[in-house]
Amino acid sequence: MNKTRKIIVIKRADGFCIQFDAMASACEIIAEIDDEFLANKIGTTVSEEVWRIEDKYSRYNPQSLCSKINQSCGKPITIDDETFALLNFADTCFQLSDGVFDLTSGVLRKIWRFDCSDNIPSHGAIVKEMKNIGWRKVEYNDTEIFLPKDMEIDFGGIGKEYAVDRALLLIKTLTNQPVLVNLGGDLATNSARKNGEPWQVGVEHPGFIDKKTMVVSLYKGALATSGDAKRFLLKKGTRYSHILNAKTGWPIENAPRSITVSAPQCIQAGLLATLAQMQGDNAEQFLSEQEIKHWAIR
Amino acid sequence: MKNEKHNKNLKAALTLATTALFSTAQAGAVPLPSDTPTEDTWSFDSAFLYYSEAERVSAAEAIFNAKKNYSDDSTLNLKLTVDVLTGASANGAVAQPNVQTFTRPSGKGDYNVKAGDTPLDDTFKDTRVQLNGQWSQVLAQNYTGSVGAHISKEYDYLSLGVNGNLAYDFNKKNSTISFGLSHFQDTFSPEGGIPKPFASMPLSYGQYDDNGNNSTKNIHDATRMSSDDNKTTSDIMVGFTQVINRRMVTQFNYSHSVVDGYLTDPFKVLSLVDSRGITQDYLYENRPDKRTKQSVFAQSKYHFDETILDVSYRYMWDDWKVESHTLDSRIYIPLGDGSYLEPHLRFYQQTAAEFYQPFLMQSDVFPEFASADYRIGEMTAYTVGLKYGMKLDGGNDLSFRFEYYRQNSESAGHKAPGALASLALYESVDAIIVQVSYSF
Repeated sequence: MNKTRKIIVIKRADGFCIQFDAMASACEIIAEIDDEFLANKIGTTVSEEVWRIEDKYSRYNPQSLCSKINQSCGKPITIDDETFALLNFADTCFQLSDGVFDLTSGVLRKIWRFDCSDNIPSHGAIVKEMKNIGWRKVEYNDTEIFLPKDMEIDFGGIGKEYAVDRALLLIKTLTNQPVLVNLGGDLATNSARKNGEPWQVGVEHPGFIDKKTMVVSLYKGALATSGDAKRFLLKKGTRYSHILNAKTGWPIENAPRSITVSAPQCIQAGLLATLAQMQGDNAEQFLSEQEIKHWAIR
Repeated sequence: MKNEKHNKNLKAALTLATTALFSTAQAGAVPLPSDTPTEDTWSFDSAFLYYSEAERVSAAEAIFNAKKNYSDDSTLNLKLTVDVLTGASANGAVAQPNVQTFTRPSGKGDYNVKAGDTPLDDTFKDTRVQLNGQWSQVLAQNYTGSVGAHISKEYDYLSLGVNGNLAYDFNKKNSTISFGLSHFQDTFSPEGGIPKPFASMPLSYGQYDDNGNNSTKNIHDATRMSSDDNKTTSDIMVGFTQVINRRMVTQFNYSHSVVDGYLTDPFKVLSLVDSRGITQDYLYENRPDKRTKQSVFAQSKYHFDETILDVSYRYMWDDWKVESHTLDSRIYIPLGDGSYLEPHLRFYQQTAAEFYQPFLMQSDVFPEFASADYRIGEMTAYTVGLKYGMKLDGGNDLSFRFEYYRQNSESAGHKAPGALASLALYESVDAIIVQVSYSF
């Protein structure tokens, strides 16, 4: 992934805006600080951390640890503490979701192509691919992971959110002035704005032609969005979202087109948004019952 | 997920898992700095600049800037500038078809200028040490105040200054109004004293002791009115900054400046020529003792997807009837890996002061004020430059700037009689500027 990586630091009246590209998203840091040196420092620190995580966990990067694990053909691969912690987190998510969230479900993408068509795979194809799914078949400890042949893991469901939280941790070591990190819609802040007002965040839905950008307020904590603006299948009036149920091999039916969740940390918000999507019709009820602040678009 | 109990515990379970993730994940991740530098951090900038005019003045300048950021958003900025100037500077006299001899400003020697050459005083040599301190802090919500002090010392010049500035943010901090005041007190004590207005340049008393006994020195001293003189400068500045949208920010400033006191250049003379254009005498220049300047400034920065365009324009006018236009533009082009290119283009145009004249005519009515200093004559100038900046491994910034400057002096409509018609009265100045900056 040796594409040119650069950050752009822009002076604005209320501070600095730092922009860069990572994880196939437009990323932005808004820092309400006057010090250009500090702004540069924040920009460099955060972008390098996000790129580091991308290089390590992207399944699209053949050099990544994720790719190494996926190409291990059943041989054990050495992992470090960070990866061990992420696998533990994924394991908790698997259990909390009764197996609906599964790090190994990515192989379903080979048969499910969410191109807005009515191209639903055959029952046989799904059953065949389901053999290569199952978190319980993955063995790991604090030094190694063992992934059975033909199985794959994919950190896509938590990687970007994890990067947001890591970025915030690093920012807190540099400043306590208000900073917002936005990695392509998954975002978090360390504090309200200097004027005491919340950050106004536009949640964009590139595929929704008729919908305006939804603006949500954020004082503190994180927001994550799970949506299928352009990624769905439509057959006989049923809309299949791109969120796949790892237990059935089928997409969730009647999930909201987009759901944005607020939580203290981005990785929680992201997971809650995904879990809510998996409730289909009951997505909003699921979040309301748990008193989780959310915004849904149907 | 139909399990009600399970749902209720979800938030708590997730919080627990997240805590575990971030307390153990750090060993493999980039470690968080343990000594958190959130409070009171210093940052430093240093620069070395070299400016060289072809056959004229060269200047070498070293700048060291230290900035301390306090956790409450206050900042202390200290800047030390040292520059050394050497070379030759136009003394105001016109070129002649014959060799010309001038007394050095100190009176202790002379220098010759070849026929046809613009007279340059090659005694130009000075070292300046300048120290600026600025403190700024948030005074109340949306109000930022700043105060500063300035001291600058040269061999024959002392400048002391203070300033204060107040900025108010409104409209969700998208707009800022600022108001600033500054005052400078300068003392000029040139070696050889301050010449009387329009006094004839005396002969040098060269190798003789300056014990007051020799008559050449007495004649020299008779052309001097004092050993030093002062001037004060008071500025008022009003500014307005507006964020137009996330890509564009604009700024407008108005400033009003009154300079009072000794504004003449004690080293500059005018040639007094006869109707044939031949110099009969050199007279020290004389300028009004007050100058009121005003200027308006507009700047806009526009951020394209990657590049940033920065364009500014300044219009300055004063009661000496000098008017100037400055158009300045830069384009910031990121190259990746934190490096960038920044082309720079500046255009400057100025009309002459009403008392500017390239020489005095014997036959003309003697003016109240006159100066042949090209710096207040009619001129256009442009600068073309390129800066290259890069990020070093430690995150420090290194940049190189190279610029070419050309200044063309022009006739403000003064007729050149006799011999002067075939001589260059308005010379252009070419200069190069090289700068290396390092931030850490």
